[in-house]
Amino acid sequence: MKRITTILLCIAVGLAVLGVPAAVGAVTGKLEIVHWWTAGGEGEALDAIAALFESLYPEVELIGASVAGGAGTVAKGVLQTRILAGNPPDSFQVHAGMEVRGHILAGVLEPITDLLDPAVFPKAVLDLCGYEGEVYCVPINVHRPNTLWVNKEIVDELGIAIPTLSDFDVFVAACEKAKAAGYVPLALGEAWTVNHLFGSVLLGALGPDGYRGLWDGSVPFTDPGVTLALERMKTLVGYANVDHAALSWDAAAQMLVDGKAVFNIMGDWAEGYFKAKGWEPGVDFVWASAPGTRGSFILCIDAFGVPKDAANKEAARAWVKTIASIEAQDIFNPVKGSVPSRSGADKSLYDVYLIWSMNDFATSELVPSLAHGGVLEALAGDIGDIINIFVTKPDVAGAQGSLNRAAIDAGL
Amino acid sequence: MAEVRLKDVNKTFGKVVAVKDFNLDIGDGEFIILVGPSGCGKTTTLRSIAGLEEVTAGEIYIGDRLVNDVPPKNRDIAMVFQNYALYPHMNVYKNMSFGLRLRKVPRPEIDKIVRRTADLLGIGELLDRKPKELSGGQRQRVALGRAIVRDPHVFLFDEPLSNLDAKLRITMRAELLDLHQRLKTTAIYVTHDQLEAMTMGDRIVVMNEGLIQQVDTPQKVYDHPINRYVAGFIGSPSMNFLPCTIVKGNGDLYAACKSYKLRIPQDKTKSLRDYIGKEAILGIRPEHIDTKDTITRKYDPESVFQASVWVIEPLGSEKLVHIKSEERILVARLDPHVDLKPGQMAEFIVKTDFIHIFDKETEKTIF
Amino acid sequence: MIKERTKEKLISIGLVSPTVLAIGIFVYGFIGWTIKLSFSDWNTFAKLLKGKFKFVGLSNYIKLLFQDPRFPSDLWNTLFFTILFLLGCVTLGIILALLLDRGLKGSIIFQNIYLFPMAVAFVVTGTAWRWIFAPGISAYPQGINLLFSKLGLDALRWRWFVSIEHIGPFNLALIPVVIAATWQLSGYTMAMCLAGLRGIPSQLIEAAQVDGASGWQVFWGVKFPLLRPIILSAMIILGHISLKIFDLVFSMTGSGPNLAVDVPALYMFETTFERLRYARGAAIAIIMLIMVSFIIIPYLISSMKREAKK
Repeated sequence: MKRITTILLCIAVGLAVLGVPAAVGAVTGKLEIVHWWTAGGEGEALDAIAALFESLYPEVELIGASVAGGAGTVAKGVLQTRILAGNPPDSFQVHAGMEVRGHILAGVLEPITDLLDPAVFPKAVLDLCGYEGEVYCVPINVHRPNTLWVNKEIVDELGIAIPTLSDFDVFVAACEKAKAAGYVPLALGEAWTVNHLFGSVLLGALGPDGYRGLWDGSVPFTDPGVTLALERMKTLVGYANVDHAALSWDAAAQMLVDGKAVFNIMGDWAEGYFKAKGWEPGVDFVWASAPGTRGSFILCIDAFGVPKDAANKEAARAWVKTIASIEAQDIFNPVKGSVPSRSGADKSLYDVYLIWSMNDFATSELVPSLAHGGVLEALAGDIGDIINIFVTKPDVAGAQGSLNRAAIDAGL
Repeated sequence: MAEVRLKDVNKTFGKVVAVKDFNLDIGDGEFIILVGPSGCGKTTTLRSIAGLEEVTAGEIYIGDRLVNDVPPKNRDIAMVFQNYALYPHMNVYKNMSFGLRLRKVPRPEIDKIVRRTADLLGIGELLDRKPKELSGGQRQRVALGRAIVRDPHVFLFDEPLSNLDAKLRITMRAELLDLHQRLKTTAIYVTHDQLEAMTMGDRIVVMNEGLIQQVDTPQKVYDHPINRYVAGFIGSPSMNFLPCTIVKGNGDLYAACKSYKLRIPQDKTKSLRDYIGKEAILGIRPEHIDTKDTITRKYDPESVFQASVWVIEPLGSEKLVHIKSEERILVARLDPHVDLKPGQMAEFIVKTDFIHIFDKETEKTIF
Repeated sequence: MIKERTKEKLISIGLVSPTVLAIGIFVYGFIGWTIKLSFSDWNTFAKLLKGKFKFVGLSNYIKLLFQDPRFPSDLWNTLFFTILFLLGCVTLGIILALLLDRGLKGSIIFQNIYLFPMAVAFVVTGTAWRWIFAPGISAYPQGINLLFSKLGLDALRWRWFVSIEHIGPFNLALIPVVIAATWQLSGYTMAMCLAGLRGIPSQLIEAAQVDGASGWQVFWGVKFPLLRPIILSAMIILGHISLKIFDLVFSMTGSGPNLAVDVPALYMFETTFERLRYARGAAIAIIMLIMVSFIIIPYLISSMKREAKK
């Protein structure tokens, strides 16, 4: 009897010491995360989810290493240096799409398919987060770049109906009206925002299938859809403020708040900006799908993965698992102003706009973004240069030729 | 080609009075020299004539023109600086032609003038060289050439020979005089060297502490200095000064030192009438002291005195003998072959016809 | 026993060698590595990480110089910027130095005021001048346009660094950037010219005045020729700054519309760190190195020759 008891005790102690795998609370140490959420709203969102994580894993110290600098350009540099040195952070923010594909192909990230339930994530989203059947990063949120923001007061004054604005020709007519009344029809900002606008215009001109085809090589840039996109871009730029090259994206959004401009095509982080300026969604500003893109949703996804050489891989995996949960996403996204990347959200936590966006997310065609990591960075940059030149020298044929060459250069 | 007149010129720098009540008329073609120690105001006066300093009071005329408000470039003067002030980035030809080029003189004309002047000064082969490739004497000539080429109304020289070595200085003195005789341009020359002043000037202006002491020809300044300062400044080695008392004796007046007395020449006794019994200063030039052995003419036995030889400086042409007498050192200019040795006691005689007496308080010359 | 002479030699070598070693590795070694990188095909992150070197000859350079819409215009921009910047700094520097050389009361204060901008970082300068030159739109002018508008000088309003006007290959949008850079660095030329002017013996100036030169003629005939070596060395320093200019353009204007204000350093930054085309970025860096060496090397050779002559 005594012997059996001793053996049982040993086994029990042994099991306790070895730890039951995935027992919550057994993960310890430091968790270093590199991100670029430094602007207002973003920082709070991260803090909120960090608090949740720390309540789940009290033994883990979460260190948020933020690197300020628009859309993560600076963070990327820091990241590359550390990865090359073999000292990657335990996890890092990355755009899902070709941007994370770069890391995957470089062998930086390890597959984490087991940490999430694929059924609750849209396939298009998982495609952007994975490669050859495996998922390498978990999307924490979804921003929507192809949104048209509208100064409600001005459109009411001009008698413009909002829902039909998603039709491109209707939108152009509305711009004419605004221009005649002395307003700047379309508020536009510097270089990358123009590229951002072009992304929506391409989507509108080619439709979601054609648009997707551009990026996987099945549709060449010599396609007449691209010609149409360039023509439409030319038209839109004609309605933009002439000093756009001197404005950051928020300065352009400010033009709406100041009542100088009527429309702004920007990602839904602009909503956070409007709210921070005291505007109420639905009252002071309204929205619609960017002209021509009704029924499509461009994906701008922030995701986190687990680097192969992470110092504290257990903690990293715990982090990734946490953010895949709907609880975490419901804490993060309302503050961030984005929608969860998965189903099951508690709609009561989200404001009017985000509810509209979530509904659209569930029903629209989901496509990768041009300006936000969906497309190979080198190609996105080249397109950015070409569009920058195009905006001032609207040579459609020339630009199309350059786009085609850039695509070939990028291997498409 | 012009006279220069300074009337009641005063120049102060803040609290410091550099030149005081300067009055001078310089004749056309005259070579006049301002001489004095450092700080006496001679350079300031020269610069005021040039227009490089603005006078605090007074008037300056060049020719008949009042030039107080005229800038240097329009006063038609040329200046030779102590440090030559040659333009280092230009060669000799360009240095000399600079002023002419500014006046837009036609190129062939410039060429003629520059080459002629260069030949005159013996620097014809140096026209392509830069100042840093020239010796001191050559640079001086270029500076001269630059001034001559301008053909001005007045030449101004600011101690131009001070930076040359002794031998070169003597050569240049003669050359400058020769040039002056040829060009006949009015020249105002500043120096601290009284030898230069004596050898070169038509007239010399002795200055001290901002004031003119005496203006006259060199010989007159030498023979008849107006005060003790000029008497001591002009002449090298300088005049010997001794304290004395004027006494009466044997119907004559004597300048009495401790151990001997010198008879005052007859024609000078009248001027000393008020000084009988008073103290005065006696001045004797070195060439007016002889040894008793070498004197050949008649002498007054009362003007003989004993002194010991302290230091002898043989110059080859004469011997400068420093002698100790009555706790003073006197310098005597003696024949080069005189047989004296340091420490030796000997008898010396003063040529009383040439002595000077100065008022003890005012230091003005009585005779 | 080690001889005294040899010991001295060893000590000298010992003191100098850390620096030589450091420069050898961190400057020349890195330059060598960059050259090697520019001949490779590492134009994606994966290729960089995998590290397999594939020699592609001059293809990166050829793509940049002949097939890139952006790089040749960058080179024109650099030329234009350098010419205007050097002209601006030298002219302004000389004028300020001449004014300060008069020794009027309070000139020390002004001397320091003109030098202060040098202490400011280019990033700060760029941000501040961006506010000044951001043009606004015609109904709502901003910055200096607003000032002109308030003063009634509407004719002077311009699009500044947002303008796409150009004279041949020279983009006028660079002019505001030149103004900002000149504001920052003309104090440097001023200080050098002032030191140079003060080194000219006053007798030289007086000789020129007596020779008949007016103030203007004294400047051209005497002062400027003697300032030439100082101006030349100032131009060398400023020249290599302007060829490599980055932070000012980055913080003030970005690449500008139609890439009017783009400069090679900016393009290199974007190419390497945003588009992850490392080899092409290295090629840009090497081209910039060659440009700068065209200025520095002749200068070094001539000053070594001058030392040897002494």
